[in-house]
Amino acid sequence: MPATSDPDANAAGDVSRTQEAILASYAELIEELGTDDVSFRLIARRAGVGERTVFRNYATRVDLLLATAAWIESRIFPRQDSPSIFDMPLTIRAAMESYDHRPELAHVVAETTMRGVSGAAPSPRRAMLEAMLDAEIPMLDDDERRAIVAALAHLDSAATWVTFRREFGMSRRDIADAAAWAAEAVLDPIRSRVG
Amino acid sequence: MDTPTAILASAAAALRENPFDDISYRTLGDAVGVSERTVYRHFPTRSHLLEGVAGWIESTEFPLPPFVTIDQFQDAARARFLAFDSSPAFAFVCARAASISPTGEPEPTFFTRALATMLATNHPSVNERDRRRVAAALRYFASAQFWARMRTGFEMSAPAIADVFERTVAKVLGDVLILTDTEMAGVSRRAPA
Repeated sequence: MPATSDPDANAAGDVSRTQEAILASYAELIEELGTDDVSFRLIARRAGVGERTVFRNYATRVDLLLATAAWIESRIFPRQDSPSIFDMPLTIRAAMESYDHRPELAHVVAETTMRGVSGAAPSPRRAMLEAMLDAEIPMLDDDERRAIVAALAHLDSAATWVTFRREFGMSRRDIADAAAWAAEAVLDPIRSRVG
Repeated sequence: MDTPTAILASAAAALRENPFDDISYRTLGDAVGVSERTVYRHFPTRSHLLEGVAGWIESTEFPLPPFVTIDQFQDAARARFLAFDSSPAFAFVCARAASISPTGEPEPTFFTRALATMLATNHPSVNERDRRRVAAALRYFASAQFWARMRTGFEMSAPAIADVFERTVAKVLGDVLILTDTEMAGVSRRAPA
């Protein structure tokens, strides 16, 4: 697994062996059955633990879902750190392709980030993006910096894949192209100022 | 009001008090005067219910102002961000519903079709592939999902969200579309690069 500065990834990296087994099993079952029909009993059986163990680690279905979404982001859809703004569109292209390979899991990740205060971290890569811009273009004014970080954080997410697929019926390649192109457009005006 | 609509209206009313996950089928049935079974017949899974409630909310609480120019599109988007800010529980439900695995054949929403039509009418010379990716980017940045991420991930309010939206629109339109003078004035007035 590549190194990453994503706080969610670190959180997911801290999971115990038992938790890892539970989260991986739930992710598998989501791909087979969808999120609705998966009982704690089924998850326990797949993970090879008792049902009580699942409850002890994840008291509610929402707790389990959020932990699973974080696990999926870090294990199934990890990002390479991209220290260069020139690499960002490529990172986003690769992310879109990986979401397209595991559509059910991409939907779960997208959905959990849209729940407001009871959801998953909506912009886990914000800190990394801010650090990247500060290092490359220290003179960027605050409003523009914030707008660029916000736009890139939004583009580098499962919701992009979901929207482009659902609303525009795009193929894997078209989604990857369109998301990378949008990131290029966002970055283009500041490229010449890297120095 | 027919039964499914009554169920959706009562689910939307319940959202003012409870998060979506805490709304039970039994409560919905009781509120409308039908059995829990009937609720299940209309909405076989919670995903169906979520999509239904979000659709009902979109049309009743967040109607889309009409737009035929980029300028009007930006006004419409800004008006929606403000409306989302005043009913956050509703807006988060819309953002969630737009992100789940579709329960039926996915169909573009009215908003998406209006945007695609506007671009095709105003910019017929732009090739379809370019036009579609401009439309996809604009649609995605005008969405409840964008509002939700900016609100929880960046602690922004509607005016700040609209500002980021407009800056992004200006960049995305960039030199792909040859804008009419009026549109150009609209874009540059709003979002100086």
